[in-house]
Amino acid sequence: MSVLVAKLKISLDQRGDFGEVFTPPWTTLDAGGLAQRPVYLERDGRVAFGDVFELSGSPDGSIRLLGDLGRADRLAAGLSDGTVIIEGDVGAEAGVGMAGGVLEVKGDAGPRAGAAPLGYKRGMSGGELIVHGDAGVEAGAAMRRGVLAIGGSAGDRAGLSMIAGTIILFGLAGKDPGLWSKRGSVVALKSIEPPLTYAYACTYQPVHLRVMLGRLRTRFELPVQRKHLTGSYRRYSGDMAELGRGEILAWTPP
Amino acid sequence: MKIRGVFIEDTFAEAFTMRVARIVITGRSPRWVRAAALKLTGFATSVIGCKCEAGIERELSAVETPDGRPGVSVLFMTMSKEDMAKRLIERIGQTVLTCPTTACYDGLPAAGDRVAVGSALRFFGDGFQISKVIGGERFWRIPVMEGEFLVQEKFGMLKGVGGGNFLILARSPDAALAAAEAAADAMASRPGTILPFPGGVVRSGSKVGSRRIKSMIASTNDAYCPTLRAVTQSALPDGVNSVLEIVINGTDPPAISAAMKAGIDAACREDVISISAGNYGGKLGPHHFHLRTIMNGTAE
Repeated sequence: MSVLVAKLKISLDQRGDFGEVFTPPWTTLDAGGLAQRPVYLERDGRVAFGDVFELSGSPDGSIRLLGDLGRADRLAAGLSDGTVIIEGDVGAEAGVGMAGGVLEVKGDAGPRAGAAPLGYKRGMSGGELIVHGDAGVEAGAAMRRGVLAIGGSAGDRAGLSMIAGTIILFGLAGKDPGLWSKRGSVVALKSIEPPLTYAYACTYQPVHLRVMLGRLRTRFELPVQRKHLTGSYRRYSGDMAELGRGEILAWTPP
Repeated sequence: MKIRGVFIEDTFAEAFTMRVARIVITGRSPRWVRAAALKLTGFATSVIGCKCEAGIERELSAVETPDGRPGVSVLFMTMSKEDMAKRLIERIGQTVLTCPTTACYDGLPAAGDRVAVGSALRFFGDGFQISKVIGGERFWRIPVMEGEFLVQEKFGMLKGVGGGNFLILARSPDAALAAAEAAADAMASRPGTILPFPGGVVRSGSKVGSRRIKSMIASTNDAYCPTLRAVTQSALPDGVNSVLEIVINGTDPPAISAAMKAGIDAACREDVISISAGNYGGKLGPHHFHLRTIMNGTAE
């Protein structure tokens, strides 16, 4: 086996902060080294990652996490390289402040995935955060760079105060997507209601989306359809309450 | 050595190390892809006068391009890394950026040497340009009247080979042209090679320097001009009345050898007397393509 596998060995019946598990240089650690990384549980306090997960396999820069991680918060916070795959749901603030690498959530993600840690100005500053299911509120809030793709529905205020970067919504967008965005891009493949502080610019075919969506389809098997690649998008500029250099690109049925 | 009665001279083509980039152009339809590619590769036959050499390598199907649209790959060659950056910025900026529906991508993603192109062209966006990183590569979206022009920030660059060649010595201009056309057709769209001259053929082969003007880099190859047979030290066998040259540039010597083999084989036809090659005694260029070795299938 050439990939690390971490299988939840206890029932996670309390919330836990996993924010220090995948900070650098986690990709160089073997199973034993990673098992010693700290996890902070709501009731039990500090424990080792190895007390919660059973680790196997050899390090190759990637890891698969198995089990119900709906109460595991801040997983892959500050991720800068490597690939972390969560085979189910994950708790709040997954990938907060990540700077590189790939975080792939096969299930749903809680609030503020890819956002800035509370009290910080900048969210994810690079890498790819892929949520195949739904995402909670304020996904990608204050993100600076990188790509956040949400296969299901997004909670309210996705991309709140985005500085830059791209959020791609395959499902329904919640309220106020891209609110107070400076330069960020929110791409919606289903219905979206831009905030009132966005202004319609034109309907056109952005070529870069063909490249970006093509990658999401081939690399992450997200449900990109031909109509998304060849179709037209309404472009809204905003948020005019901020710099106004961001955009919402809303796919338009032919 | 003879192929179908055509004598293959025991000589070699002498070629030079050049820098090569592969530019992938895509567009809404082959019409616009080709329009951009023809302009990009126009006036790019020889570094002597054009500062670069370029040609269409091959057409790309939609499944071969980064954005799933029809495209072409262009090989673009210069003598130095610095020249590559200047020429690509000039030419992509004037010929691809301007062409409706097109986008421009790096075709050598694995090359370690990178030339900043999109990062310079982005300034045309006058501050409205947008950068996007996709799969670790940065792209620039430059707003234009039609919509947006997408260009990759950096293009890969390798050491390639320029100046592979062979000469077709024929009884008549018609025979030389027919053989050259057959050779160019046989060599077209071979991965890793381009024929930078018009139709792939050169009628004005040159020698280094000039008999009379010291500042000239190159002048007519009088030894192969049939009209000068009586007044110069001619290299032409009896019966030769026209000579055409095929020049081949490529990403590596094996690609050039394979193209030369296909081209020479196609050129060996009726009324062609011999096949020769241009060289400078082996002292200038590091790549030597021996005709007989190539035709025996044991090339460089």
